[in-house]
Amino acid sequence: MVLDQLASGLVYSSIIVLGSIGLSLVYSIANFANFAHGDTMTIGAYTSLVTFGAIGGLGGTVLGLPFGFFVALVAGIAMAALVAVVTEKVVYDGMDLDSIGLLIASIGLAFIYRSVVQLGFGAQSTRYGIQSLRPIEALVPYGIRVTQHDVAIVVSAAALVTGLHVLLQYSDLGRKMRAMADNPDLARVSGIRTDRIKLWTWVIGAGLAGAGGAFLGLYSQLTPRMGFNLLLLIFAAVILGGIGSVYGAMLGGFLIGMINQLTPLLSDIGIPIGIEYANAIAFVIMVVVLLFRPSGIAGEAS
Amino acid sequence: MSLVEDPKGYWTDLTVAEKGVTAGVVLFAGALLVSLLTGGLTPTYFLYLVGIAGMYALLSLGLNSQWGFSGLINFSVAAFFGIGAYGTALASASGSPIAGGLPPVVGLLAALALAAILALFIGIPTLRLRADYLAIASIGLAEVVRLIVLNQDDWTNGSAGVRGIPSFFDGWPVLGTFPETMPTLVFGSGPGATVLSTSFWQALSNVALVLAFVGVSYLVLRRAHRSPWGRVLRTIRSDEDLARALGKNTYSFKMQSFVLGSLIMALAGVFYAHLNLYVSPGDLDPITTFYVWVAVILGGSGSNRGALFGGVVIVAIQEGTRALPLDAAPIRLLAIGVIIVLLMRFRPQGVLPPQRELIWPGTVDETPQQPDSGVRETKAGEK
Repeated sequence: MVLDQLASGLVYSSIIVLGSIGLSLVYSIANFANFAHGDTMTIGAYTSLVTFGAIGGLGGTVLGLPFGFFVALVAGIAMAALVAVVTEKVVYDGMDLDSIGLLIASIGLAFIYRSVVQLGFGAQSTRYGIQSLRPIEALVPYGIRVTQHDVAIVVSAAALVTGLHVLLQYSDLGRKMRAMADNPDLARVSGIRTDRIKLWTWVIGAGLAGAGGAFLGLYSQLTPRMGFNLLLLIFAAVILGGIGSVYGAMLGGFLIGMINQLTPLLSDIGIPIGIEYANAIAFVIMVVVLLFRPSGIAGEAS
Repeated sequence: MSLVEDPKGYWTDLTVAEKGVTAGVVLFAGALLVSLLTGGLTPTYFLYLVGIAGMYALLSLGLNSQWGFSGLINFSVAAFFGIGAYGTALASASGSPIAGGLPPVVGLLAALALAAILALFIGIPTLRLRADYLAIASIGLAEVVRLIVLNQDDWTNGSAGVRGIPSFFDGWPVLGTFPETMPTLVFGSGPGATVLSTSFWQALSNVALVLAFVGVSYLVLRRAHRSPWGRVLRTIRSDEDLARALGKNTYSFKMQSFVLGSLIMALAGVFYAHLNLYVSPGDLDPITTFYVWVAVILGGSGSNRGALFGGVVIVAIQEGTRALPLDAAPIRLLAIGVIIVLLMRFRPQGVLPPQRELIWPGTVDETPQQPDSGVRETKAGEK
């Protein structure tokens, strides 16, 4: 029972981690809380849906997923990144606002994204045309009920996160991004083209969100509200990890996903809080962290 | 300079935006009047719309006294609206799982008390936070409130909602039976005739109620905004450190403004419950929060008349999209989103930013050119 919840916590965490990294990157480099981030995930999911519908399975499968799904995943990532870049260029770039003004503008953008998706696909839920699988036989005796799809989500998320880690630590772009997150003015006078770095931040953040959205659609289903509904959990993850810290966002995303899926254990040990309050627990944790340690668990205490 | 004494001077005194809004309001009112007379809009439905517009105006006034006065980013509007609606519903409805059957005035007081408690509960931890953290924390706590209302079946009936809410004037001496005692009036004849029946008089009494709520709130807020208390709040909004350096307990002032705004939002919820006669957890959906935000930033942050204007525009969007052949929900969402982005891009101060309304009336026109005493007629050295 516990093992099963840990396993499903790991799968859910993977999706939240993909979302929270992008939110944290944008928070530190563009310097505002992006409320459109959840709907960027929705865009990724629906782009994958359309692409997969158009190209089909393309022959073989990996971990129960047709090759075509991975092509669709890349399309979802690309579309989410493209939308973010166009938004940055068209909307945010010309705004002369403080972080609060940008936050409010991002709410407007969130509504625009969601309404476009809803106009195209309706409000009802839908799924990819992929057969859902039975749990992996070998693990069922241990009480773990995960499908190959779940494994694919965790492995793909791990690959993306590792790629990001390599990029941030060892590439020129990564060093510049870290410099800019640390001190934008200093980065600028050092000759870093901060505008360009900002665009790359949007590409990476929104791309990861697009991947998270595509996996969220595979994990449960696609609805126009899917990203918005997850947004607050992602905020909780980012704040728990420490705003601006990518590794904090990973840790925060992991913890929030785990706590969310482990909520049933509370009733087992006699605390009368049911799974319907799983999200509420995360929000309360978020507020407590904001109050007592606003720099998060990975940030430096100030 | 008043409208009655000098209409021409009043008009030339207005800013371009004020002229535009005035013209727009006149046109809109004209269009409504035409559709009323031609039968495109039934009088009862028109009064219902006026009621909803009043409700949004109340919510906007409430948010304006938090965001517009003291710069608090409160994203938990829907929670206060919902707690107001549930407060009165649980006290007065026949279908209430806990109390029920009490007079609606008791419901009103219960709702306000609950809202004040919730405001303290949300405000005490979050008002010390940085502005953007306050936004995230307040929307998170509003979701917690919504989840509690949705899942605590034994207190709130859960997703089934609360039915059997009486109208607000139920049991009042004259107003209680006013809709039933008024005669049914018929204008015109045939199928196109306008019939003013019980539902019309019911709607009329609802409109009277919301107008009373809006009027009282507006006057209180206008007075508060100009008072020394309001000046402190405006100082906090522009520079909190300055206010603190001047010896003001900014946390306490922010809390007062937060509670005041929350009570006004709860008042909107009370009105909604007695208008709709049914409340459900769906009424606490965060979208309400963002509708109200649009109304406030559209009208102009800090401007009470702007908040009234914004409330009316929201209802125009909500009801205008209903007439479209497409699915109304995404169109509405799109309109709201586009308005937010365009406003923040081109006019972040809103359509009707505060102008003279921050100045105590009489201080502009009647200020003497120079003080009565202490000023010499000629400067030193001049003959």
